[in-house]
Amino acid sequence: MIKVDNVTKKFRIPHEKRNTVFESLINIFKPVNYEIFNAINDISFEVVAGECIGVIGKNGSGKSTLLKLLAGIIRPNSGNIEINGDIVPFLELGLGFSGELTGRDNIYLNGMLLGLTKKEIDKKFQEIVDFSELGNFIDTKLKKYSSGMHLRLAFSIAIHAKGDVYLVDEVIAVGDNEFKEKCFDVFMNFKKQGKTIIFVSHSLDTIEEICEKTILLERGKIRYFGKSKPVIGKYLQS
Amino acid sequence: MLTKKDLILIKKISFVDFKLRFNSSVLGFVWSLLNPLLMLMVLFVVFSLLLKSPVENYSLFVLLGIISWNFFSVCTMNGMVSILNKASLINKVYFKKEILVIASCLTAFYSFLLNLVVFFIIMLISGVSFHYTNLYYLIPLFSLFILTLGISFCLSAFYTKFRDLNEIWTVLLQAGFFLAPIIYPISMIPENYFKFYFLNPFSRILTESRDFLITQSAPSIRFVAITVAMSIIIFLFGYIIFRIREPKMVEEL
Repeated sequence: MIKVDNVTKKFRIPHEKRNTVFESLINIFKPVNYEIFNAINDISFEVVAGECIGVIGKNGSGKSTLLKLLAGIIRPNSGNIEINGDIVPFLELGLGFSGELTGRDNIYLNGMLLGLTKKEIDKKFQEIVDFSELGNFIDTKLKKYSSGMHLRLAFSIAIHAKGDVYLVDEVIAVGDNEFKEKCFDVFMNFKKQGKTIIFVSHSLDTIEEICEKTILLERGKIRYFGKSKPVIGKYLQS
Repeated sequence: MLTKKDLILIKKISFVDFKLRFNSSVLGFVWSLLNPLLMLMVLFVVFSLLLKSPVENYSLFVLLGIISWNFFSVCTMNGMVSILNKASLINKVYFKKEILVIASCLTAFYSFLLNLVVFFIIMLISGVSFHYTNLYYLIPLFSLFILTLGISFCLSAFYTKFRDLNEIWTVLLQAGFFLAPIIYPISMIPENYFKFYFLNPFSRILTESRDFLITQSAPSIRFVAITVAMSIIIFLFGYIIFRIREPKMVEEL
């Protein structure tokens, strides 16, 4: 279950960039002028466990900021976020991947970053390799991989991370059709298992297919929150 | 506090970084062993053949100083940039940022341990006998690690905001190299300056290390206790600063 209560996130955008000791000393008596940008402006909503919620909106409407807040990467200026269960962040695939390491080593590193223990990875290792269709290439250095192989490996690890809440940012938009189908199946499977999914995407079709409910964000505020079809319809009208 | 999962992650990241460091060079980690050996040869030529040594086993004496200092400077430099270097990670997944700093310090520590192995081998060869007091070396080793980790925490906390901190720190490290008794023995300093000299925890740690390992003349318990206390205080100070700055760091990346 996710409960978001009056959450606001402001970013301070300074007019001049001052990020050295030198500049700070020279301008020590000059105040920094900055603008405040309300990326997320006092929003509240609730998600019941097992629901799949789509998040849509124009660029700069606060979709990614919302996901980062949910993932705990950034903290809100005010308000409260409550999440029951383990979070698996799908904000980027292939976290911490290093070209100099073999596919095998990368599975362990990436898996641990996603919160798996070594034993769990040992157990799931064959499954991960099978899903990624890499076969014997698993002991090749990652820099020799094609971008497709890279992507398949990254995705394969991510879906084997265990959690209750999946935060997905536009990851399905990559890869060929066959891969997209596969991803689609995976998410449908998650739904069947009763996992909660928050799905940020520009692909309205995918959202309509996977998510029952959708949030339409506009300038950091929730414009509409309800059944996917009507919300997407309203988004298309505006 | 760090959980078991955090510790696993620290171990993994530090091993991976250690592996990557030597992966691209043909000789692999042999380089990290060769480094102190080559240094010893230079020291031997300079101090045993060309100059008159002020202390017995002078090259060993200097070697220990240099590898300890190397650890200190490499570790603080790497620790400082550890957060910024892994910005892509921190921006995409939540985990305790301490993990990155501790892992980068451990990576430097592994190299240091390899250097120490070489040091012990050379010590054996040059005929310094082992003695049970050698084991007490673990105390200054602990102090050194805690001290370095604390300073790394402090530096990394500010590096996200002040990107020229590495330039400043390089200069300070250079000064530190000559201010601490690394290439000269403490006995060359007039005794009434000792008070100021031993305000520097690194000088204290180095003096203890040499006492325990080479000259086998134990320093007083009080001296050792103060050093440990200083290191722990600096560590806590650095860690607290890190915790205070931590929420702001992501937005500064």
